[in-house]
Parts: sequence; C-alpha cells; structure tokens
Amino acid sequence: MVVAIIPAYNEATRIGQVVRDARRFTACVVVVDDGSTDGTGDVARREGARVVRHAENSGAGAATMTGIEAARRLGATVVVTLDADGQHDPAEIPLLLKPIQDDTADMVFANRFGQRNSIPFIRRVFNAIGNVLTLFATGTWIQDSQSGFKVFGPKALGQVDLRMRGFEFCTEIVRECAQHKWRVAEIPTKVLYSEYTMAKGQSFAMGIKTALKILLRSFLR
Amino acid sequence: MHLTPYQIVAPAFSLFAILYAWNLVLRQKKTLWEAFFWTLFWGLVTVIALFPRMLTYLSAVTGIANQENAVLITFMGILFFIVFYIIIRLEELEQRHTKIVRLMALREAGLDTNNDMAGTSGTGDLQE
Repeated sequence: MVVAIIPAYNEATRIGQVVRDARRFTACVVVVDDGSTDGTGDVARREGARVVRHAENSGAGAATMTGIEAARRLGATVVVTLDADGQHDPAEIPLLLKPIQDDTADMVFANRFGQRNSIPFIRRVFNAIGNVLTLFATGTWIQDSQSGFKVFGPKALGQVDLRMRGFEFCTEIVRECAQHKWRVAEIPTKVLYSEYTMAKGQSFAMGIKTALKILLRSFLR
Repeated sequence: MHLTPYQIVAPAFSLFAILYAWNLVLRQKKTLWEAFFWTLFWGLVTVIALFPRMLTYLSAVTGIANQENAVLITFMGILFFIVFYIIIRLEELEQRHTKIVRLMALREAGLDTNNDMAGTSGTGDLQE
C-alpha cells in the first residue's frame, strides 16, 4: 500500500488541492498538521486525508517522522512525502515509485535540478550549500538532498528513524541511506515556485541555524 | 623516550575512542565517514600528546607564547566545552519533548499502541 505523507504548517489555502491530487496516485493520504492555527487540518480532513495533529509546531522533521509512524501503523509498504505548498506535482508520484516497483532502489529522491526548472537563484544557492553540508556530514552526494519529494521503499520505511526536528532532517535521511546501505535513485522532477512558496521557504537565518544543527548532530553521533 | 603520565593516558584514551567509533561502524550506528573524522580528531590528540614540540609551531602561528595567554585559552576551551555540553543537553530535551508531542498526536488520531509511551520517561532512551 502506497501512502502519501504531507507535513503541513499553516497551509489552509494550499493543502486542499495537494490532498486532492495526491489521492489520485496513492491509497491513503496522511496530513501531519504541525500545530497550524489556520485550520489546515480541517481542510485536509474535508478533502479525505487522514489527519494527525501535533499539539504544537515541532518542525518539518518531526512532522515527517510522525507521518512515517502513522503510515507504518496504517499498514503502508511504501511512503511518498510531499510538500504542502503545492511546489511538487503529485502526477509525478508514479515516476518516483518506479525504481521501488522495479526493486532497483530503497529510497528515491526527486531532483529539481535534473531538468529545466525555473528555480530562483537564492534557492539554487541554498540547495548547493545544503548539498555540500550533507556531503560533509554523511559522505554521500545527493543532487537535491533538500527536496521534500521523496519515496521510502519497504526496506527504508522499516528502518528509518528520524530524530531531527527541523529542515535538517533532509540531511539525516541521506545519513540513514549511508548507514543502512539503502539503494538510492534520483529522478528529475518539475517544481513550481511561486511568490507564495518563496515566502514560505527557509530564510537565510533559518538556513544558518539548519546548517549548524547538521554539523552539531554529525559531531554528536 | 621518557613518557609522562599524560603521554600514556591521552593515547590510551584516544585508542579507546577510536576503537569505540569503529565498533559503532560495525554495529551500523556510525558511518565510515564519521568514524574517519573521529579517528582523525583523536589521532591528532595522540600525536600532540606524544610530540608536544608540534605545539611550538602552533605557538608561533597563533601568538600564544606566554603563560597568561595559555591560561586564557585554556579557560576559553573550558567555557566552550560547557556551552557544548549545555547544547547537547538542550538537544536531548528537545528530542524528548518532540517525541512526546508526536506520540500524543498519534494517540489522538487513534493510531497509538499500548507501549507507545514506554521509553519516554527514562533518562537515556533518546541518546545515541
């Protein structure tokens, strides 16, 4: 059973469409409402998603792990994670699922830089820094390590255990790949940046904080 | 070669730390990359302990030539360690707090299991 996980924080205006689209390609959609105050969870529920709600905002990493745990308990064998702001196209889910179905990968990363996409310069810089830090922390190079569009195959789904709360969880997933020796596939995908997604993205200060956390946690391990 | 107690203890501890790190690699709790850096760090500690004259070069580079500077740097090192320790403790508390929030969310969604909360009251369950 393929389950889509959508961590969401104050995405009431976008989540409905994302859930509707994701339901066309997965058996079940789990929205983790990360302490939203704008009724994100209610909108998602109305659209047919299973909603798990954090009592307070805990970060994208915590929300993703909650979603993974919920998916396991629902009997999922494969999990797809998507951003709630609509920057990923759920129609590409089958494309990402293919390496899992062919049994050539345990973990699939969407790669926003693998095809022509209109990506703002600042986003490219942030992603490049994220990739280099991830390489430094894990020894593994992933072309788009910070993408929220991923697929966990049965092996990865059974073993993944994320501890980081914030956006640094993207690097932690790469670390898990190296640690558990998961086979990795990277699939070029579309991405839709808008003023809305840019405004919702990470700020420079948040990027610095994320980088420091990655380095700190790498040292502590 | 006459060895001081420090020159025996530091390399011995370093060896223990390096063996521990590679043991974690074998148990798949640490990546090869991390073990490599860990080995590099403790290897450096050993080299400096066994060949303290290397520090003469560092002294020339950093300008830490007299005792007052050395004391200042030492205390800065101690303060750095204390801050580092506090950050670690905060991280652990943050993780424990997050774990509780997540388990509460699953419970409210009707996806809990009976032994979910076991392990959240101990002191070391979230440590690596």
